[in-house]
Amino acid sequence: MMREEFTESRAGDAYSISAAALAEAGFAGMPEQLISNRHLIYSSPATLAFNSPGAQGFGVKRAGLSIPGSVMLLVAPACCGRNTTILTELGGYGERFFYLMMDDTDIVTGRHMNRIPQAVKEVYDHLSGAPSVIMICITCVDALLGTDMERICRKAEGLVGIPVLPCYMYALTREGRKPPMVHVRQTLYSLLQPLPKKSTSVNLLGHFAPLIDDCELYEILRNMGVRKIREISRCGSYEEYLQMAEANFNLVLDPEARFAAEDLRKRLEIPSIELRRLYQIDKIQHQYRLFGAALGETIQDETWYEETKKAVESFRNTWGPLRFAVGEGCNANAFELSAALLSYGFAVTEIFADPSEEDFIYIRRIAAVSPDTRIYSNLEPTMLYYDIGNEAADIVIGKDAGYYHPDSVRVEWSDDTAPFGYAGVRLFFRTCEQALRESGWHREEVKE
Amino acid sequence: MKGLRLVIPPFAPDQSGAAGVFCMLPGLIVILDAGGCAGNICGFDEPRWFGSRSAIFSAGLRDMDAILGRDDKLVEKIAKACEKIRASFVAVIGTPVPAVIATDYRAVGRMIRKKTGLPVMMVNTDGTAGYDEGEKKAWKELVRLAVEETGEPAESGRNAVGILGLTPLSFHRAFSGEELESIKAGVQQREGCDSVYIYTAIDEMETAALVRKNLVVSPSAIPAAEYLKERYGTPYEIWCDPEWILPLEEKLQAAAEHPPKRVLVVHQQVLACGIRNILRDRTGAAVDVASWFGMEPSLQEPGDRVLREEEEWMSLVREGGYDLIVADQLLARAVPEYAGAWWDLPHFALSGRLQP
Repeated sequence: MMREEFTESRAGDAYSISAAALAEAGFAGMPEQLISNRHLIYSSPATLAFNSPGAQGFGVKRAGLSIPGSVMLLVAPACCGRNTTILTELGGYGERFFYLMMDDTDIVTGRHMNRIPQAVKEVYDHLSGAPSVIMICITCVDALLGTDMERICRKAEGLVGIPVLPCYMYALTREGRKPPMVHVRQTLYSLLQPLPKKSTSVNLLGHFAPLIDDCELYEILRNMGVRKIREISRCGSYEEYLQMAEANFNLVLDPEARFAAEDLRKRLEIPSIELRRLYQIDKIQHQYRLFGAALGETIQDETWYEETKKAVESFRNTWGPLRFAVGEGCNANAFELSAALLSYGFAVTEIFADPSEEDFIYIRRIAAVSPDTRIYSNLEPTMLYYDIGNEAADIVIGKDAGYYHPDSVRVEWSDDTAPFGYAGVRLFFRTCEQALRESGWHREEVKE
Repeated sequence: MKGLRLVIPPFAPDQSGAAGVFCMLPGLIVILDAGGCAGNICGFDEPRWFGSRSAIFSAGLRDMDAILGRDDKLVEKIAKACEKIRASFVAVIGTPVPAVIATDYRAVGRMIRKKTGLPVMMVNTDGTAGYDEGEKKAWKELVRLAVEETGEPAESGRNAVGILGLTPLSFHRAFSGEELESIKAGVQQREGCDSVYIYTAIDEMETAALVRKNLVVSPSAIPAAEYLKERYGTPYEIWCDPEWILPLEEKLQAAAEHPPKRVLVVHQQVLACGIRNILRDRTGAAVDVASWFGMEPSLQEPGDRVLREEEEWMSLVREGGYDLIVADQLLARAVPEYAGAWWDLPHFALSGRLQP
């Protein structure tokens, strides 16, 4: 039996649930099809970023190289370093990755541990200029062996005289208390040492690439008297990175940076405030109000609010009540973005994402206005039978949703540069507009 | 230092090789990992995956599954998936995680078979060996399952030839449908047979012992061919046409005025030996073959080398005196001082790049 016959002889349909049914079930009663550790994980191009975070976007390996001038030694079986070939093709990474490959004896006995300091030395000697830091990335094998990488790093530091840091790519702990992407954020800021505080310095934590240049957050902070706004991705040198320790407070823009912020609070006494990436403009306004109140400031954001509101209305007037499908493979929380789109008068026919407990705030909101929105898990085995190419959406957001709707207008919305705030909403609709125009959708579907 | 790579990234591992053998077959393929290995296999080492909807799954192991050895949970997950997915077999492919916790593959295989009623293939790869080792294990399991599960083969009288070992990882990329037809036509002409099987379907696989002969096009398929020969008397020949991936004739014509004298060919051994034979016949050059993967002793000649370490590759080029290297361009970055000619011979298991 050929593969083509196999996929056509469907054993059933892809599992999905309506927003109304999911809201009623609640997080506690969520069907197991939406709970990833209860079933095998279906591997499709839609889930590549989930299954292999190193292959696309910022996984542990690329994120671990965010410190300016750093290089990485990946200590693992060959299989863990394989997709790094892709990264070496990306600008600037070719000279920054090195590998110490384990053999079958290493993974059982852990004898590779003795070789790591010498391997670090050889990497150091191989480089024409001294790196600022050598990151040692270890994987599931060392998680199970219980390798004390902190001790090995100290030993390696003794040989090369520069910081050597562990970077834990433990896929096994992905749903644990401290998943790899949380861990790596903490590691990145662990080299900061106490400096005298400057009341005019602030750090933005959470993203590995900078916010979009026209993000109003920069101006809001400057209006508050902040002179230095530092993001690790905008630090031009290791010395500039170290200056992040002088910050008066940290702004946490991704929940995965909470641990890092807490660590900085304990070690360097830098407090933090968390802001979320949102697409509902009234919620963005509310968040800025709360942020201002926490700092004893009044944030004047009316201009940006009105500008953004107009941009949304203009898009809506031009393109009408488009039907969206939203995936989780994008720079947004799929449920929050869906709730926003519904509030602007669009339809959301499908959402591809596994809900967390926090997402139920949005799911209830979605269910109230669009009870029939279907929610799929990208990872559930029956997604093998998803009817690819069905016309359930005019425009799809995210790499995953794009995979399911190859004939719809597709917006990946997954650039490295991080959209945020009102500017993020405006850029989102500009990007959608551009995609619609380029696809010719406007001519065929609206004018006629 | 052993295992240290300063210039060349790691090559396709055994688990990718195993997955590539099963990829186009109608089974439930489970990578026994936490997620990253499945992502690496599908997103990088299996070019056919992007265009197909293969039933490849990750077991989604978590730390406590590994620490507590929850095999029953794995079997349960597989059984549930089998209720929803129509599959004619289950293949479970190992990764470093089951290797570290010493998973009992035979026992788990029996449990899955009992629970699902489906034929089961367990491939104990561990992510540390080359792709060819995984292919070897998978080809052998697959041949055993396909032939044995259907009973002793009867005399067929078919004038058919099979091609064993034609995977993207053993060549430059996935062959297109048109290219496969062309390969089949070439083999048909060479062998004077009625039909040619490339074993990408279970019913074709079941005939592996019935064909007049199997052509083995990569070293990783030799043990499976050997098994068929020993068990069923099906003969095999190790052979592959380099023109499938390299326009050798074109290259030779272009180099006619300055023919090479000393050549190094680096690829999987069967293809590399095919290139050697043609180069030697046409130019009289001395040709060495090297491979980063396993080599069949009967095909080796003095001067041939199995490469393991980056340093071995560098010293081979430095000291070999070659004026032509035929190898994947990825390897050139480790020998920038080499001044001779270089014919790019892409090997998907090395560079993983998609060729036009």
